[in-house]
Amino acid sequence: MSQAQTAVVRLHRALYMQQAIKEAANTFADFASFKIVRDGEHYAVSVSDIDGEVEGDVVAEFCNFALHNTMQRKKKRI
Amino acid sequence: MAQHTVESVDAAAHRVTLALEVGLYPIEVLYGAAYVFIDRCFVLLDKDEGKDGPSKGGRYLVHLRGKTELSKKELLDLSGEFGNELLSQALRRKVVKANQKIIEEITTQAIAGAAGGTLPTDFLDSSDDGMDFLDDPLGIAVPWEDKFKKKSADQP
Repeated sequence: MSQAQTAVVRLHRALYMQQAIKEAANTFADFASFKIVRDGEHYAVSVSDIDGEVEGDVVAEFCNFALHNTMQRKKKRI
Repeated sequence: MAQHTVESVDAAAHRVTLALEVGLYPIEVLYGAAYVFIDRCFVLLDKDEGKDGPSKGGRYLVHLRGKTELSKKELLDLSGEFGNELLSQALRRKVVKANQKIIEEITTQAIAGAAGGTLPTDFLDSSDDGMDFLDDPLGIAVPWEDKFKKKSADQP
């Protein structure tokens, strides 16, 4: 599946943890570059240099990982 | 009736967006439902603050996108399944909360049992009864042949 080489994802700060997003970014570091900045109520994640050779949607998979990591971290807190 | 609503369906992008009021379900319920769907589709959660809208507390927006191509009907089915999963998770949470004490007690007992528990006091009694470990007062160590050997013909 072809996709744009850059994308910006906005993840709400009340729903996603910064550490979880960073962890997901590290997981996908081989396939794209990630830059996370706070933007009001959201974290704006700029995804660039997306590897065109990768099968699947790197950005969407990254979002799934960020959500999963957040759930895991919140579970540990409880 | 307060419930989740389908905000939009984009069949071309294989995406459906659900909206639910923030106060309707706890955040753990939303996470729980999202966790179930995470292997089937791409899940993106968002929050609409909605200060001026009809829901003053805001709304959670759940964007679901199929990992494979999905028709409009399949997307609507997916959103329905997500709604069911929200209810299921909410009930599960309620049951766990109601039985928290029992669950904790059973778990504690199971862990204590696996850890060996406490030894009966008889085992800890160090008083010496004067017996050696080779002593056999009940005759347990006597071989079967010796115990039940056939009486020889010359014996009366």
